[in-house]
Amino acid sequence: MDRTERILDLVALLLDAREPISWAELREHFPADYGGSDDAAERKFERDKAELVELGFPLTYVQGDDERRDGYIVDRDAYYLPEADLSKEELAVLYAAGSAALASGVFPGRDDLAHALRKIGFFAGESLPTPRVRMELGATQAGQEKEVSARLEQLWDACASRKWVEMSYASPKHPGTTQRKVDPYGLALRRGVWTLVGYCHLRGGLRTFHVHRVRELKANTARPRTPDFQVPEDFSLDNHVAYFPWQHRFHEPLEVVLRLSGALASRASGLFPGAVLEPVAEGGVTLARLKVSFLDGLTRFCLSLGADCVVEGPESARSRLREMAARVANRHADALEDKVSA
Amino acid sequence: MSNVHERLRRLLFLVPYVSKHPGVTVEALARALNISREDLLEELDLLTCVGRPPFNPDDYIDIYVDNDRVYVDLDQRLFAPPRLTAGEAAALAASAELLRPASGDALQSALQKLEHVLPPQVRERYREMYRKIDASTEAPEALGPLTRAILERREVTFGYASPGRAAEPRRVRPYELLSHRGQWYLQGFCHTRQDARLFRLDRMEDLTVTETPFLPPPDARADVPNPARSSSEASVRVRFSPVAAPYVKERFGQDARPLADGGVEVLVAGDSERWLTQWVLSFGGEAEVMEPVSARAAVARAARASIGL
Repeated sequence: MDRTERILDLVALLLDAREPISWAELREHFPADYGGSDDAAERKFERDKAELVELGFPLTYVQGDDERRDGYIVDRDAYYLPEADLSKEELAVLYAAGSAALASGVFPGRDDLAHALRKIGFFAGESLPTPRVRMELGATQAGQEKEVSARLEQLWDACASRKWVEMSYASPKHPGTTQRKVDPYGLALRRGVWTLVGYCHLRGGLRTFHVHRVRELKANTARPRTPDFQVPEDFSLDNHVAYFPWQHRFHEPLEVVLRLSGALASRASGLFPGAVLEPVAEGGVTLARLKVSFLDGLTRFCLSLGADCVVEGPESARSRLREMAARVANRHADALEDKVSA
Repeated sequence: MSNVHERLRRLLFLVPYVSKHPGVTVEALARALNISREDLLEELDLLTCVGRPPFNPDDYIDIYVDNDRVYVDLDQRLFAPPRLTAGEAAALAASAELLRPASGDALQSALQKLEHVLPPQVRERYREMYRKIDASTEAPEALGPLTRAILERREVTFGYASPGRAAEPRRVRPYELLSHRGQWYLQGFCHTRQDARLFRLDRMEDLTVTETPFLPPPDARADVPNPARSSSEASVRVRFSPVAAPYVKERFGQDARPLADGGVEVLVAGDSERWLTQWVLSFGGEAEVMEPVSARAAVARAARASIGL
């Protein structure tokens, strides 16, 4: 019998059973499948059982007593999906986000997500309200989505089953690629880029990897149901992934004060989330105080915002911005002269 | 994941779905399962062989197609799908994070209810897996009301600050929200400008959802603005130092032309001088506009303005 068919038969049998079903009975019911040597039959059933558990089938083995015989039994109440009583609004949020993530093509656990959406929609009736939300995630270059999507799927499986992965990684800081063995702890999305955080065996510490820079990827296939590592209790993805360029951990944190005027003054909270904002008395100006662990990341961003963004202090940050601006100005200076003379 | 696993998940959903929607069309069912019509018919064939020992006629699932509609007469107790697995719940919760904080309380309560319908033995595993995806983008507050306005088809008003100008009032029919490289945009029809427009959410102020209804056009999809995308109109030549080159190559691929000194050169569209200037400045001196001279001059002026010249 086909394995899919056999497992579905087992589901039907166990859902209907009023009494525990012993291994001997199962062998009688499926003589062609669980025939042969005891060992081979048991191994086959073990694999089927594992699949059932994966599917969320609450299968247990009960030791019999006076009232009951030994055997396998399923907790029916724990099997069937109950109504979650999601409100229209709650359903809309889950659907909007879930379907946008699926449509982006680049989200880890896509199969899981698709099934989850179907299940929560099961009780919701015919037409689910799907607000139109579209997201482009994870691929820095057009045409990369398929590759990133496949990597995310592999990494999601490896994270979930806690198996190490081996990959070749192309860091822009070094030419070529390096071979890495990594214990994958989790995946984070920041500003449209997916990052893997994990323990790198080569560097002997926690490292972050951009998923689009992973060239080849292989997960450890030995003993798939036995985890290779433990994730430390206090591990948190958020502590290792930067939201903004100035949050990369390249040096000791430094407090920088920015002076935002003009159109930037009212946009301060959107531009520098998490910064302490303080409107200046004369109006139209906002001071933003923020912690910076990669100064160049901040000064580049400030430079791109234009003259309405000025570094107030400390002096090291002020001079770094001046230096950068002067460098750009000098490199383009001749254009200005041309223009003036023209 | 093996194919058997995917197939089983699908089939354990299929039977209850038909049981709940008797007479669902083959097409609608295929769409609900995201498979082709042919694959669906194959799945239905397989299901007619599924049953429980002792395999008497009544022990089989009785599912059939009649006049292109699907019915199930005997579902063999498959009347509801299985509960969510830890992986399914975790993927769903992580994707919902994409709209945080805009979705507010609805998200929080939805996740609580979701956790509540997980089998107890799965909850811990779900929490563990949920911690493994962190997709919280910096979703702006405006996302919440805009999502609602799109859903309820109501016009919105807001003040919109175009670059270098003070905010001016706009009245817009919201069609679609999109996020591109961490930036959120609203696509819609602007009454003020009498044209389709794309708005950045971070430039909106005083957003109000009005009572005025509208009918959205059947397909209102916007192209994501990406001035850096090489096109036939690409007219600005930008050169990058060897330090910045690897990052530029990563984004432009084959379109980044290698230079003798280890740097690269790319051609980008020049229709937005402001975008181009910002972009070049964001490389902090590692990028230089080669031509045209007007674009070089714009960068020079902006850099000088930054140091008060």
